[in-house]
Amino acid sequence: MASEKTVISEEERTLLRDNVRGMLAEEWPIEGAVERASDAGAMNRIWQSLARQGLTKLGFDAEEGGLREILLVCEELGRASCPAPLFSAVLVNLLARQGGGAAEGLASLCDALHSGSAVAAIGFGAFDGDAAAGEVRLRDGGVSGRVAFVENAASATHFVLFVDAPAGVVVVLADAASSVAATPGLAVPALSELAFTGTNAALVEIPAARLAALAQIARLCCAAQALGAAQRGFELALEHAKTRKQFGQFIGQFQAIQHKLADCLTRLDGARLTLEASATAFDRELGDWPVIAAAALAYAGPALRQVVLESHHTMGAIGYAEEHEMPRHFRRIHADLARLGGVNRARAQLADYLLGPAAPPR
Amino acid sequence: MTTLPAFDLDPAVSAFRREVREWLAVHWHGEREAMHNRRPFKDRGYDPEFSRLVGAKGWIGLGWPKEFGGQARSPAEQLAFIEEMEYAHAPRSHLVGETIVGPALMRHGTPEQRAKYLPAILRGEMTFALGYSEPEAGSDLASLRTRAERDGEDWVINGQKLWSTGGDKAEHVWLAVRTDRDAKPKHAGISVFIVSLRQAGITIRPSIAMYGKTFSATFYENVRVPASAMVGGVNNGWKVITDALAAERVMIGGAVAALQRSLDHLTEYVKRAEIGGRPLRENAVIRDRLGALAAEIEVARQFALRNARLVEAGHTPLYEAAMTKVFAGELQERLGEAALDILGSGGLLSEDAPSAPVGEMEQVLRHSIMGVIGGGTAEIQRNIIAIRGLGLPR
Repeated sequence: MASEKTVISEEERTLLRDNVRGMLAEEWPIEGAVERASDAGAMNRIWQSLARQGLTKLGFDAEEGGLREILLVCEELGRASCPAPLFSAVLVNLLARQGGGAAEGLASLCDALHSGSAVAAIGFGAFDGDAAAGEVRLRDGGVSGRVAFVENAASATHFVLFVDAPAGVVVVLADAASSVAATPGLAVPALSELAFTGTNAALVEIPAARLAALAQIARLCCAAQALGAAQRGFELALEHAKTRKQFGQFIGQFQAIQHKLADCLTRLDGARLTLEASATAFDRELGDWPVIAAAALAYAGPALRQVVLESHHTMGAIGYAEEHEMPRHFRRIHADLARLGGVNRARAQLADYLLGPAAPPR
Repeated sequence: MTTLPAFDLDPAVSAFRREVREWLAVHWHGEREAMHNRRPFKDRGYDPEFSRLVGAKGWIGLGWPKEFGGQARSPAEQLAFIEEMEYAHAPRSHLVGETIVGPALMRHGTPEQRAKYLPAILRGEMTFALGYSEPEAGSDLASLRTRAERDGEDWVINGQKLWSTGGDKAEHVWLAVRTDRDAKPKHAGISVFIVSLRQAGITIRPSIAMYGKTFSATFYENVRVPASAMVGGVNNGWKVITDALAAERVMIGGAVAALQRSLDHLTEYVKRAEIGGRPLRENAVIRDRLGALAAEIEVARQFALRNARLVEAGHTPLYEAAMTKVFAGELQERLGEAALDILGSGGLLSEDAPSAPVGEMEQVLRHSIMGVIGGGTAEIQRNIIAIRGLGLPR
């Protein structure tokens, strides 16, 4: 994937983070975040706010922000437990930026995403990284098949799908599905399964390598959301350890708690530094960026999940009520890190790099 | 060899890295390295002659200020140098002098001490061992008991030091002693001396540590040294020691490069080995394990790079350095253990066994304990992260 060299300074990044955090604190306060996540009106309002801030344009123009900035915003959304599908917009922007010139459908979808009038949901299907994610095919100009594990399908105005093609991959832009079925579980809001039966759609052809890069960026965005949620959950546990007294002393004075939390900080820092390194490698157009990204994903998966487990242990029953903030971080972290192939795929990618593909063509 | 992509964001660092690699190809790899590796294992890693070559090249004291004869290279360049040296397994007999004694003398030494030691350290002509730990003073270094007592113009030292790496080979010891028995707190009564290990009254008893090289117990019996051997003044030793620790923080990155080298060798073996006619590299469990280890080595490298960035920005990485040490140390344990699982019984064989698949791995495993317990145990490092990094109450 091509991308221009980033010109964003560390100060500008801090400003961006503060702005997004401030906006979310005002418009997506932690109180009621669970209820709002399943309230279509609230989801629409936060989407409008993100668009007004220019955030739904991220990825469209590298001058306005590279992958470092994209991950930073994803991290803030994770921190605030805001499930707005920003990275879906980012992926469409990246697709459009990289020469979908002939693709009018892509350009108009971008415009609508930038103005906040459209919301995209992405179904990677056969390119998901998870063998159970389904697939769609093109038949007689229409799209048919099913894709699973799609986020934010309920609020989407457009579905972005991918079809294997002889010369690469066809991007499918559909403004409706034949059916959208919520598949409840750990993820909140629930993931969905989409079915298409000869659905009309705009088609854009891209090289397969670009889709692989796009899927890798989607995974990094998910990991960044999980990082934000894990960081927030950890801060709650840390605060708790400094104020909660048992056996006549702060529980944070016990080395059993201190070492647990010290290891959590190591995991958070390790995940953040490696995610940043992979984004920097992407922004600087280093050819091996997907390998660094695979390392970030392979580490962040188990590490951030352990952080939220340890945070829960430290909080005890106080963080165990669904009405508390902790459970939604627990859910977000697991959902974001298990999707799109999760840690197994990331490790396999590193093994492919180090050892060659598992079964070479004979 | 397929290794994880290491990229330097600064072209000057990449250029320097290349220069180091090319220099090592000429001056280390080849006959000198082959000769070194013909020595018994316990004598490897120590080569004062090679140190003089590095010194002549100007690559000792890379980070030292120019006024003291250093090159004032950036922390990122220092890290790149350490990584290349470690990856090449090039011996650095001058390490304690360069990273602990030299920086301490620049800050706390007298003009005479600086003139006597700094140029010799830079030339690679002077070797030091550390005299810190004692039978009753390990993690709690401040309770050390080896004492120095004033006698006229001299000091007379009595006591015992333990676990001194290179203690049987170095010419000098950087020695922490008690000069005030009643000091409260305990660390307010400590002073530091530079003492020749060839001096009357010193007995050195080397023993083999589990990683296959020596460490020494050193006994001091009425060892007489002049007042000019003391560094930083009476009872000011704790500050001298802790300031010196700050100067070694960038060095931790070297351990990560050594891990990278071991993983690369393990990977090379897996790439070409066959078990029962099937390529080992197709084994899904092994692929998963190697993928996980590669990711962790990348993370360790990012920790080391952060330390360098912090030093560059004028900060002293404190909990960040502790984090790097814990992570890299425990990662070496995981790497050694994983190698045993991957190699099976063959992983038990050392490089002395001709049929060993990757003979270095069992040594990597034995060595790993040192990284976890040496230079401040993992528990002490976690205390630092908790107290200094997280602000948890004592």
